[in-house]
Amino acid sequence: MNRLAAIGLLLASFCALVWAQDARQIIAESENRSRSKSQQYEGTLEVIGASNKVSIKRWEYRRIGSFGVSKAILRFTAPAEVKGVALLIVNHTDRASDQWMWTPAIERDRRIAAQDRSTRFFGTDFSFEDLEERDVDQFDYKLAADDTIDGVACWKIESKPKESKSSQYTSSMVWVRKDNYVAAQIESYLKDKLIRRIHYSDIQNVSNIWTPRTVEVFDSNRKSRTVLKLEKLEYNLPMKDEDFTLEALRRG
Amino acid sequence: MGKIAWALLPTLLCLPGAAQNFSQRGFLESDLTLYPETAPNDSGQAIDDSLFRYQASYKALPWLRLAGAFDARFNTHEEVERTAHLDWQDRSLERPALSLREFNATITKGKLTAEFGKQFIRWGKADILNPTDRFAPKDFLTVTDPDFLAILAARVTYDTGSDSFDFVWQPRFTPSRTPLINERWTVLPQAVDGIALVDLGSEFPGRSAFGARWNHIGSGYEFSASFYDGFNYLPVFQGAFSAPGNAIDYVRTYPALRLYGADAAVPLRWFTVKTEAAYYTSPDRQQDDYVIYVLQFERQIKELSIVAGYAGDAITARTPTLQFSPELGFARAILAHAQYTVDSNRSVAVDAAVRQNGKGSWLRAQYSQAMGQHWRATAGYSWIRGDDSDFLGQFHRNSFALLALRYSF
Repeated sequence: MNRLAAIGLLLASFCALVWAQDARQIIAESENRSRSKSQQYEGTLEVIGASNKVSIKRWEYRRIGSFGVSKAILRFTAPAEVKGVALLIVNHTDRASDQWMWTPAIERDRRIAAQDRSTRFFGTDFSFEDLEERDVDQFDYKLAADDTIDGVACWKIESKPKESKSSQYTSSMVWVRKDNYVAAQIESYLKDKLIRRIHYSDIQNVSNIWTPRTVEVFDSNRKSRTVLKLEKLEYNLPMKDEDFTLEALRRG
Repeated sequence: MGKIAWALLPTLLCLPGAAQNFSQRGFLESDLTLYPETAPNDSGQAIDDSLFRYQASYKALPWLRLAGAFDARFNTHEEVERTAHLDWQDRSLERPALSLREFNATITKGKLTAEFGKQFIRWGKADILNPTDRFAPKDFLTVTDPDFLAILAARVTYDTGSDSFDFVWQPRFTPSRTPLINERWTVLPQAVDGIALVDLGSEFPGRSAFGARWNHIGSGYEFSASFYDGFNYLPVFQGAFSAPGNAIDYVRTYPALRLYGADAAVPLRWFTVKTEAAYYTSPDRQQDDYVIYVLQFERQIKELSIVAGYAGDAITARTPTLQFSPELGFARAILAHAQYTVDSNRSVAVDAAVRQNGKGSWLRAQYSQAMGQHWRATAGYSWIRGDDSDFLGQFHRNSFALLALRYSF
């Protein structure tokens, strides 16, 4: 009985500690837990338009580094007409990412003008900004409430970009699962209007990183949604910096 | 080369069994071009052009990749040869019916990449006109809609991520394919009316060409400097009256060319600035010396992408020759491109070039729609207006509608 009481007391203390965490700490912890040296997966995207027309795209994704100092190459494998089209993304901590696109049909790479990050990413419902890594220091956070997503207890956190951060959204609501600190849902707003809802599900432990294997984004303006499924996901594979250059983008 | 290509092609085709190290793609496309007007030397108003393209690549070893591409063409307007040999040289006046578009081996070792064989080499950063692209001859059978040709070359690249150094040696010259003399994209001056033109062929350069380029990616900017020593892939026509006096014999020659080029791209808050310039000088004085430069601004506004700029030139030394020069022909002009992505399957694009003296203009509007996972249909119209004295304007009878249907696999 005494042991049970002690355990109960410990649990209560732990819960109190967790409750005491501020919103920024929760987001930072979430970021820390998903940190990896590299990531690789094959993505299948279903773009479901307002009229329920479905188009399917597939890509291979490889990333080296994490949060702000990463480089990634995304190469389309389907549909046939965009097979081989590839994107090199070089993320920076102090400015927007540099991006180059390789188009095999014209055999050249070109730097992408990335001024408007609200642009849809290759005809999907993700915007370029949605795919960028979030730097925890570029937002202000406020714990809004406790909530549940898919039956799991979550912290509901309001996030607003700092003045120095340019964003298409004026605010976002982020639901972070209490059991594993994985983001379960993000709703992004322009003033009070919902622009996008991103829902994360099928959360699995891959190489000790809890990862959503299904990401669904809903564009409330277009009434369309895109479902991204991550297959053959692997973390911390040995990768080389020289495989994330313009030359590497070109040679495939 | 041809025999080697034939020997290795089945190997590439049989490699799908080698699983994920093998990749392939291709398409079958049929284009219908409709010209509302006839031209003095061409009464054809409807042309069908069919193209089957197959591309494959195989990563034989972690450091070795083999790639090849094959084209089969048919055309109703005699723009494609009617012989069934496999062409790998791309030196014919007409497009080959069967050709090896690309065939190369890429060796990678750390930051070093070496590529040998028939390959595409593109250098410039601008989108509409690339004066520094000297290893990129084109098929100009339709002048406003050119297609790139690969060259036989060895290319070595050392890429550190922020700096890359490119060295290219081209042992065998590949010319651009110029418009056919008996078709509408060759506009003959009235002075040669009634005079027979006798094609004596082409004199190809005997020596190799060399080029080098340094590209630097900095914090918020990117630039490169390049050098080329070789031959212009655009020909000079040298003609002489033949003995009876009612015929002109002509031959294509390719001027020696030395080029010094530079380009830069700077992404700014509101737009990206891209600029590219090259100084062309001819050691054998077979063509003009000149500078071509492009300054363009690029902006993405939601699903609308806009590129607008100016291409200029300055001729520093004149040589009295008759040269086919679409690069100068698109200079001294405002150039623009806009594309709107309607949704994941549909897009609309507009391209325009307007000469600053107003004597020539070209506008192309295209609508494209994907159907399912494999099909895409494109419909477009190209308007060309202007005076006979202007490079663009001389094609004012060649406005055309295009309907294209492509099956990709």
